[in-house]
Amino acid sequence: MTAVRADRETAAGSGTGAVIEVRGVSKSFGGAAALKDVSLSLRPGEIHALMGMNGAGKSTLVQILSGAQNPDAGHLEIDGRSHGVLGPRRARRLGISTVPQRRELVMSLTVAENIMLGALPARGSLVRWRSVAAEARAALARLGVDIDPAVEAGTLTVAEQTMVEVAREVRRGGRVLILDEPTACLGAEAAEQIRAMVRRLRDGGMAIVYISHHIDEVLGLADRITVLRDGAVVASRGPGESDEDGLVRDMVGRDVVSRRPERTARLGEVGLGLRGLGDGRFVDGLDVQVRKGEIVAVLGPAGDAQSRLFDVLSGRRRPDRGALEVDGTRVPFGRIGRSLASGLRCVTGDRRALGLVPGLTVDENLLLAQDRLDRRRLHRRGGLSRRAAPLRDDYRVVSLARNPPVDRLSGGNQQKVLLAKWLATGPAACFLEDPTNGVDVAAMADIHVLIDALAEQGVAVLLASSSAEEVMRLADRVIVVRDGRPVAEYEIEKITRDELIAAVLGGGLS
Amino acid sequence: MSIDAPVGTGGGTGGTAAGARPARRRGLPALHAVPHAGLLLVLALLVVFASVRTDAFLTSTNLLNVLRQVSVVSVIAAGLTLLMTAGGMDFSMGSNVAVNTAVAAQLLAHGHPVWQAVAVSMALSTGIGLVNGLVVTYTSVAPFVATLAAATLLDGVALLVINGLSISIGTKLTALGDATTLGLPNLLLVALAVLAATAVVMRWTTFGRDAFAIGGNEDVARLSGIRVALDKLVLYALAGALSGLAGIMLLARLGASSPGTGGLTLQLTAVAAVVIGGTSLAGGRGTVLGTVLGVLLLGTVNNTLNLLQISSYYQQIAVGAVLLVAAIANLLQQRRH
Repeated sequence: MTAVRADRETAAGSGTGAVIEVRGVSKSFGGAAALKDVSLSLRPGEIHALMGMNGAGKSTLVQILSGAQNPDAGHLEIDGRSHGVLGPRRARRLGISTVPQRRELVMSLTVAENIMLGALPARGSLVRWRSVAAEARAALARLGVDIDPAVEAGTLTVAEQTMVEVAREVRRGGRVLILDEPTACLGAEAAEQIRAMVRRLRDGGMAIVYISHHIDEVLGLADRITVLRDGAVVASRGPGESDEDGLVRDMVGRDVVSRRPERTARLGEVGLGLRGLGDGRFVDGLDVQVRKGEIVAVLGPAGDAQSRLFDVLSGRRRPDRGALEVDGTRVPFGRIGRSLASGLRCVTGDRRALGLVPGLTVDENLLLAQDRLDRRRLHRRGGLSRRAAPLRDDYRVVSLARNPPVDRLSGGNQQKVLLAKWLATGPAACFLEDPTNGVDVAAMADIHVLIDALAEQGVAVLLASSSAEEVMRLADRVIVVRDGRPVAEYEIEKITRDELIAAVLGGGLS
Repeated sequence: MSIDAPVGTGGGTGGTAAGARPARRRGLPALHAVPHAGLLLVLALLVVFASVRTDAFLTSTNLLNVLRQVSVVSVIAAGLTLLMTAGGMDFSMGSNVAVNTAVAAQLLAHGHPVWQAVAVSMALSTGIGLVNGLVVTYTSVAPFVATLAAATLLDGVALLVINGLSISIGTKLTALGDATTLGLPNLLLVALAVLAATAVVMRWTTFGRDAFAIGGNEDVARLSGIRVALDKLVLYALAGALSGLAGIMLLARLGASSPGTGGLTLQLTAVAAVVIGGTSLAGGRGTVLGTVLGVLLLGTVNNTLNLLQISSYYQQIAVGAVLLVAAIANLLQQRRH
């Protein structure tokens, strides 16, 4: 299995100072090419950003780097030695570690145990808890991270969990670290903590592959940016040679315009009203009135009040205080059926857990809610696909196979299925939570247009977000929340993006 | 996988240049594209083996006898397939059978008419299923635990009802147990009707699709407006009702209710058949066709070992082994997708 076939290339490989040279790697799955002749080099002390749309080949490249897939053609050179077939074990032994998008921690164990997982220091067969704690603390300190190693991993924030996972990989001797969207779904502050950690690791000589959809972030962080499109490298430059428009053009292959349209719809009466909402320490005294045809955003740091709204509005959770009115009618809390019957449609930001049924087909997911609202008794596959077809078109759901299980679609397409599932049911009012979560630029622009159209039809749209950019793009009005309380409210036209970010972070202005 | 599992991407709608090229496959050519291919293969091999090694296997008397024997189990397995697809589990169906065969046998032995005995035992078993459903839906006790407790309890009740004796029903119910229609045993016809109805429900009704959604992701199902609690109650009650029907069928076939009729052994055979058929213990996946194959496989194994006059101890070992191999084979086939 050891494919050390090209020793003569050793000299060339070590000459570049790269830890890993990817040379002409191609990979296809069942006839569809996922990677075409990709070459790039990863150097120690360098943050190498990998960008591209969903399905551009980033994941496949990561899988090849980490040994989970073998290339059909081409090879990897690691420390000057050529590997055609790598395998996950050898990749790990060579110090290549991957931190995937989904956290892989044992949530019921402590931070220290998680960091030392598989290598608990022991005397004989007894665990030496004191050195577990000490070594874990040292591993965290190396990253400049302040987390108590004695707490359960499940109680940490997502950002902290990421850091713990990185600490584990570094402690295991990782020197090439692959981070797959480490700042997705994080608020500004938490994302900055992650970036600080990444910079620190880079300065310590680590080679880092950084995957992100956030163009600003990549421009500010990366030492090299490689853009993949349709499985091929279309550009590989330093950050100084790139700008936002250029990166978008590279990723999409055309210019993508996602600008605020002129809102022409006249605002109607209040379509969605939330008064005096209070729920434990998470929400305290939130008032929102959304008029028909209006988009109002609730913006706050990740995990703040806006992230409780889905549970409250969908009827999953009964809050302590407050009242909800949809279209002028009082809707009781805590009853999913009543929430749906009122014409309110809630789209979760967590499509994996609360949005889609993974094993069911795209068509069935698209009509899961509509068919129940219609009290349809019979289920015919022909009729289903006939009714799903216009939804697929309107929401531009693209799938390779005709009607695969929904979990085989890319993230962007899954998100469109989720939106179509709810927004095509003729809502009176709509609640959207992070509607472009984990979605590429082109899909994001598509989704923004869909939401614009929704408001244009006279639907009251409430948006919960932790992204100031998205709020600036979509909303007419924004309510900023912090520590569960509304702290400011602005008309979007009268505020700049930087002022809005400052307001979220707590810098004056209000 | 559900029957519709689309396979491969060849001939997809792709507008790319490579789109027209057919997808290449390596290894066993497209074997995993056939649903239940592994199971069919094992069943076919077993049938060939049995036909070669014994003269009796391939006679119509023997084959009809096998089908008569598996009829009872397949009715239970049908209800279990639907329930397990919805992420539920009822471990008490076999014990439910034990109780209602006991009750029906006592009623018949005391001279009550057949319709009364059938009505009482159907109502009783549906009620038992409903209670299971209420416990599972309105407390957070795991279905496995709740229904295992019910199973133990009901096994005891069944023994009490027949007082540990064998209660004969004489020649009653022979129209169901022994008679044939157009050469096919009536028991088999009832089982086929139940299986067909279950397949239709799972494939063509919203209620059946609800089961897939609930088993796939209960939270999403609830948020999508599916009345999950109601659906679950109906599913458990249905499992109970089918236990009742299976009980009547079993009583008709045996002509008596004795200690050990039905119970956990019957239950485990049904669970084994469903799991062999590829229905997921975690829910969200299941087919009646798979369950039918699972039932047939277990029935054929038993019959073959009987014909070869191998001790019943080995039969149990064989069933265990078949279950393990089938479970592994199912996983391997799923991983290919």
